[in-house]
Amino acid sequence: MSVLDLPSPRLEEWHWADMAALKAAAESTPRAASAAPAELFLDIEGPRLLFVDGMFEPAHSRPGRIQVGRIVPETEHPLGRQAEGEGWSLHLGREEAVTHIQIVHLGSGGENHVPARLVLEEDAVASVVESFAGSGWANRLTNIVLGKGARLMRSVRLVQDDGFVSLRDEAEIGEAASLVSIFLGAGGMGSRIDGALTLTGKGAFAEMGGALLTRATQKQEAAVVVRHENVEGTSRQLWRAVAADRSAASLAARVEVARGAQQTDGEQSLRGLLLQRSATVNLKPELEIFADDVKCAHGATVGELDRRALFYLESRGIEEARAKALLTRAFVADAMERIGEEAVREAFVADADKWLEAAL
Amino acid sequence: MMLKIEDLRAEVDGKEILKGLSLSVNAGEVHAIMGPNGAGKSTLGYVLGGRPGYEPTGGSAVFEGQDLLELAPHERAAAGLFLGFQYPVEIPGISNVQFLREALNSQRRARYEAPLSGGEFLKLARAQADALGMDQEMLKRPVNVGFSGGEKKRNEMVQMGIIGPKLAILDETDSGLDIDALKAVGDGINRIMRAPDKAVILITHYQRLLDYVQPDFVHVLAEGRIVRSGGPELALELEREGYGALVA
Repeated sequence: MSVLDLPSPRLEEWHWADMAALKAAAESTPRAASAAPAELFLDIEGPRLLFVDGMFEPAHSRPGRIQVGRIVPETEHPLGRQAEGEGWSLHLGREEAVTHIQIVHLGSGGENHVPARLVLEEDAVASVVESFAGSGWANRLTNIVLGKGARLMRSVRLVQDDGFVSLRDEAEIGEAASLVSIFLGAGGMGSRIDGALTLTGKGAFAEMGGALLTRATQKQEAAVVVRHENVEGTSRQLWRAVAADRSAASLAARVEVARGAQQTDGEQSLRGLLLQRSATVNLKPELEIFADDVKCAHGATVGELDRRALFYLESRGIEEARAKALLTRAFVADAMERIGEEAVREAFVADADKWLEAAL
Repeated sequence: MMLKIEDLRAEVDGKEILKGLSLSVNAGEVHAIMGPNGAGKSTLGYVLGGRPGYEPTGGSAVFEGQDLLELAPHERAAAGLFLGFQYPVEIPGISNVQFLREALNSQRRARYEAPLSGGEFLKLARAQADALGMDQEMLKRPVNVGFSGGEKKRNEMVQMGIIGPKLAILDETDSGLDIDALKAVGDGINRIMRAPDKAVILITHYQRLLDYVQPDFVHVLAEGRIVRSGGPELALELEREGYGALVA
């Protein structure tokens, strides 16, 4: 049991984290799963892995190139280092490609931990979709190493009914390699999406972003640090938060540009939408730049739905609730558009729509 | 009678803007409402459209036998009212096609008509875009985003053509248009709305749109009420002599 080691909210990086919800989820008693595993896989061909309460389920899996086995986490991160046990890994050699990998994590209560490791050598290509469903505390550590010219597309959706999902991503992105990770928090759980991406090679590309949708008294959070250590790197952090009722969504995004990492192009766009004034969106964009030839842009705004746009839609015959749903959907759409694979993007948009129908 | 407005009073931010306005519009008629800035022209459009913050405080507006002021904005649209905006709103993330199909089918459902399929809708939308000289590619773009002033107004007319309302209230549809766009918009109004079962209220500051869309009646709005009504010759008189003489 690890809950005693939880980070303190007195630490600045953990200020908005809902560790009480995490603790409650970890101590929750298991109950029957709310979803059938088969329904959680998208209808696309590719390797599939199912983890139920952190245990690999071969009966619902066809892992292909993916290895399942014990992984010892190598991180100082206070939650990530607790993700010890049976996990999954993928190692692709030069120019190898495995796409449409699906990993489903189904929880029934209590805590579960799964580490993962992805290593892509030169010019290798992979894409992974992960889905979190059920309940309990799901804790994950994902280590990513991309060699020269390697490309990884990662799409992660959190649709647990309740409980808590904590994700820690640590990535090293080599020369001209590309990592795109897009997250959607559209369930009833609390969350902490935590990322540390380091652009180690020249001309690397790193993107981490997505949408957090919160309602009732739920709290979701993303905290990402992107570090440029080499020249000509590009990074994008595009996050959208939609908060209803008395919920809170928090986004902290940081870009660090190391000395000598010239011609860095870093962009952050953090936007929050309050569906009611009782809700909260916290935004914290940060830039720390130690090079002089750098282009870094950041924008952070929180607001309500545009009343003029709302009336415009209504005046054309669209009912108020539907007009609100359309505008809110449009607000999160640019985050979801970053998902390259159409079938995956559509599934994520459908999850967001389902959330909107319930929240509005 | 299609629309009967009697002694309508309305406030914006607690200030009375419409001060007892009366106007009757029959099917088949085009009415122009002209007047100086600040007379309450746009307020009239918004009050009839049901925009929040434009609060009717007295009088009545009856549209096809229904109390218009009691209806929500989307119900007014389904009843056949179309409000053309002076400043059409940009909506990132929603395409024109998606928006208009949603709008049209919402109205059809409200009238117990079958919704149009994607294919049927596209055919209709393309025909209207063509008729207004709007590039079909613009149908796929987000609503009004990056459109020029003239393109936004053409888009309003495309929307009107697709929706096919009974009564169009067009607020300063001519502002910001060059001569080609003005002609296209004028032709659009005539083609879509000049019919025995339809009517138009053109709200405008200038005479120039009226060169293309002949009004049957011209009204002068000042200080929140209609101060004078006449035929098309009244617009010419206003153009010649200005509002000063009439309003004083």
